[in-house]
Amino acid sequence: MLTISFHPETFGDPEPYGRNTVKFRIATSVVLAATLALAAAACSSNDNASTGDNKSIEFWSFTGINQKAQVDDYKKLHPGIDIKLTEVGSSVETAQALTTALAGGKVPDLVLIQGDDLPKFVQQPQNFVDLRTLGADKVKGDYLDWVISQSIAKDGQILGVPTDVGGMAVAYRTDLFAKAGLPTDRDAVGKLWPTWDAFIEAGKKYVAATGKPFVDNAATSVFYQAVNQGPEKYYDTAGNLVYDQSPQVKTAFDLGLKAVAAGISAKQSSFATGWSAGMGPGQFAVVAAPSWMLNAIRTNAPGTKGKWDIATIPGGAGNWGGSYLAIPKNAKNPKAAWDYIAETQSPKGQLAHFVASGSLPTTPSVYKDAQLTSLKDPFFSDAPTGTIYTDSLLGLKPFYIGPDSSAIGQEFQNAITNVEQGKGDPATAWDTALKNIKAAIGK
Amino acid sequence: MTRPTRRRHVRRRTYALLGLAALACWFPLYWMFVVATTDTARATQLPPEIKPGGNFFHLAGLVFDTVPFVRSLINSLIVAGSIGVGQAVLCSLAGFAFAKLHFRGRNALFLVVVLTMTVPTQLAVIPQYMIISSLGWVDTLQALIVPGLASAFGIFWMRQYFTTTISDELLQAARIDGASTWQIFWRIAFPLVRPAAFVLGLFGFVTAWNDFLWPFIVLKSPDMYTVQIAIKALQNQYAVDLGLAMSGSFLATIPLLVLFVFVGRSMVAGIMDGAFKG
Amino acid sequence: MTTSLSPTLGRLPALSGSVGVRQRIVERIAPYAYIAPFFVVFGVFGLVPLLFTFYIALFDWNPIGEHTFIGLDNFTRLLHDDRFWNAAGNTLSIWVLSTVPQLLLALLLAHLLNHARLRFAVFFRMSMLVPYITSVAATAIVFAQLFDRDFGLLNWLLGHVGVGPIDFTQSRWGSYVLIAAMVMWRWFGYNTLLYLASLQAIPREVFEAAAVDGASGWQQFRHITVPSLRPIIVFTIVTSTIGGLQIFTEPLLLSRSAPLTCGPVRQCQTLTLFLYEQGFGQFQFGYGAAIGVALFVLVVVLALINYLLSTRIRREQR
Repeated sequence: MLTISFHPETFGDPEPYGRNTVKFRIATSVVLAATLALAAAACSSNDNASTGDNKSIEFWSFTGINQKAQVDDYKKLHPGIDIKLTEVGSSVETAQALTTALAGGKVPDLVLIQGDDLPKFVQQPQNFVDLRTLGADKVKGDYLDWVISQSIAKDGQILGVPTDVGGMAVAYRTDLFAKAGLPTDRDAVGKLWPTWDAFIEAGKKYVAATGKPFVDNAATSVFYQAVNQGPEKYYDTAGNLVYDQSPQVKTAFDLGLKAVAAGISAKQSSFATGWSAGMGPGQFAVVAAPSWMLNAIRTNAPGTKGKWDIATIPGGAGNWGGSYLAIPKNAKNPKAAWDYIAETQSPKGQLAHFVASGSLPTTPSVYKDAQLTSLKDPFFSDAPTGTIYTDSLLGLKPFYIGPDSSAIGQEFQNAITNVEQGKGDPATAWDTALKNIKAAIGK
Repeated sequence: MTRPTRRRHVRRRTYALLGLAALACWFPLYWMFVVATTDTARATQLPPEIKPGGNFFHLAGLVFDTVPFVRSLINSLIVAGSIGVGQAVLCSLAGFAFAKLHFRGRNALFLVVVLTMTVPTQLAVIPQYMIISSLGWVDTLQALIVPGLASAFGIFWMRQYFTTTISDELLQAARIDGASTWQIFWRIAFPLVRPAAFVLGLFGFVTAWNDFLWPFIVLKSPDMYTVQIAIKALQNQYAVDLGLAMSGSFLATIPLLVLFVFVGRSMVAGIMDGAFKG
Repeated sequence: MTTSLSPTLGRLPALSGSVGVRQRIVERIAPYAYIAPFFVVFGVFGLVPLLFTFYIALFDWNPIGEHTFIGLDNFTRLLHDDRFWNAAGNTLSIWVLSTVPQLLLALLLAHLLNHARLRFAVFFRMSMLVPYITSVAATAIVFAQLFDRDFGLLNWLLGHVGVGPIDFTQSRWGSYVLIAAMVMWRWFGYNTLLYLASLQAIPREVFEAAAVDGASGWQQFRHITVPSLRPIIVFTIVTSTIGGLQIFTEPLLLSRSAPLTCGPVRQCQTLTLFLYEQGFGQFQFGYGAAIGVALFVLVVVLALINYLLSTRIRREQR
């Protein structure tokens, strides 16, 4: 089935063989070289970022934290310093890029690491500059003890400086509360649920009155916050794993199941598509909101401005989130990076960032500052977000956070979510969670 | 030549089925456009919004303001273009060798190439970064281009084409006529598989254009971003501004659509003409 | 896999005697010169990183910490790990769901598109490639929104026919369907065009003769279309097997609240995602690499089986 015919004339004048083969080799090399040259030419505009002269900083951050504002301000005050900021991807993706860089080669001068990702890095302190060598000892006292202790390695090396914390409160819809006959004033609402049981009762009242779900989900908004309210979480003070014996953890877990059983959950996992979409239409009326989530609410439901307010969380205290600035060991400009940290993360710097972006400072000395206490957020009915969130921090009893805390917390949440979705049995949920934790962390 | 006229006209249900398939193909892209012209709130309401709004230019403007979009388009063009051309060239040469030339180790080498397609590459990121780093290529476009040139699938594809499209007699006749290997390749074999090489180049281009993970790890300067990184910067991990994110995605797809309009016909025709005869 | 008429003519004869020695040598190494450009790049950037993956499967390998040789411990642990078997089950189910209907649909559509008198043929053909050029990231956002339990278009339409809202992302089979839908949507047009190309090589007279002989459309499909498409069907089955068992990006992007586990009970976590979670999420690269090796074995075995099955089918039909 030859469909192509062959014509001798195709060749034309037979050329000397030698030239042909050489020509072929040249041609291939030319093509390859051209490809590389093209690419190289395109890269000529990329100036060599970290030259080691401490006049430039390569800074990796992630979205949602708005480091850009601080970077721009710093550049205005220090025109001789060039900061190359990469603000792409989630905290998890940035941590993965950091892992690759630390394992493989070229590292940035400065990197922002989220609290959940931090423990794994702190366990390998040899990858980061011990900030005490750059002066961190002097400023250590500026920060909340339990916050900075998370970035301190086992031999006392300070690996990171905290940039912000989340605090914890409850954001609720005043319009929906009014429709359900619940109080709308934030102090009254705070008094409505001093304990988690009272919170669940309020939820039941809401559901009975409106027929719509009360809280976005039980795993995150109930369990995850309640478990943070005791003096001991998954590890005891000596650093031993106690997640399966700790009464606080069990109580918090049962609270989560109770909330599910009460039928008050909208069963929307935090940050999922439906969660974002459900905010505006009022698919749930309350959500446990750390300070950084306020921006998420603003983005997801721009049309509900003024219809939200913020009340204290049941249990009074809490924290979710927080990030740290660290300097990788082989950074080319560690001094410049430290200068940036020292200035922007000073109490004054963190206060300024709070006023500009709402990031809660980790420096208690500014908690009573008028700039912080007077800040009101009109989207949330002029709630004094500074005061509310810092109060939630001050009531927190510090507990030990270990390298596997994040994985353990995730498995507990998974177990509750599973029951919430109607797939898991509440009676065996605790045992299932323990089994999964054991498989995940091996202990 | 008489032909029965029974099968001449196309049944209506054929058009219905094909129309349904075409609708399924276009709808998500169309919906992306709809969301890119309204905003998050309207995009998530029920009944779902299926008519475009008027917000396109506002959102598109935001995209250009927020991220270095034009620069990233140029970077993507360079990277994807180089990979497309490079793959077509490298895989044609090697595919020809594997299909029509005989040399020691041919089958073993080919097997190695095919086997590498079966191993997931996610962990290979770290040794690859080590190599790139030691070459000093971090934060450069060649770190994307050079690794992207060696496509195992491309070899598989071109060898398949060479094998089934070009018969050995053809090449033997040429050899008897006194042609060198290069002449055989360049004058006879390659023109016959040019459509396939072209298609491979195009697929390489599209894949490179849409790649995120490796570029994200290697490129860190905003002016080196490719377009996928640039539009990722529009997405907040806690809250997606759907209108903005979709606007970015749509703008990033437009160059491919344009390319597609100009080249699509010949691409499709290319698959039609050269494929798998015999 | 050559289709030459006579197997003994497979080798290009040597150059005639009037050619110089230098040319002979050059011609002898020519094949290596042809594959050299590819192998230089491939060796450095393709092969070495993959061999690395195999190598560290024997280690307890923290990417930024210690590397300890532990032999086959990772593999024993893997075999006893429920999460591995869960991921394997997910992977196989998603692969079957996304490949079988897709290739059948592609065959059918290719057959329809093959009609000589089809109008808008170019439009239909080009439409088939539109999904391929859309980025996976954008597709994930769009599909997640369309399939959403409370605010998605699909559930809204289902509601009209009385079917309750399905939570695709939270249920096991729902998430399989969602991921399979995404993968199918992306690739069915590409496979359709591949089949169509080969179909167009079959002379029209063959179909006409069969029609004259009284063969129905279905019989023509079974006895002419499918056998003639055997090489390309084999090709698509093998490549779909290799690709479908390594699905990674779709499950990763779909679960925003627990990206690396894909759901609270890992209902849609594929093997590659599990590998990635162990490597980058838990800093256990050795364990992740062991998963990679397991996946490699799985892919090779299944691809081989599929290859043998599909090459046999044709012979039986004859």
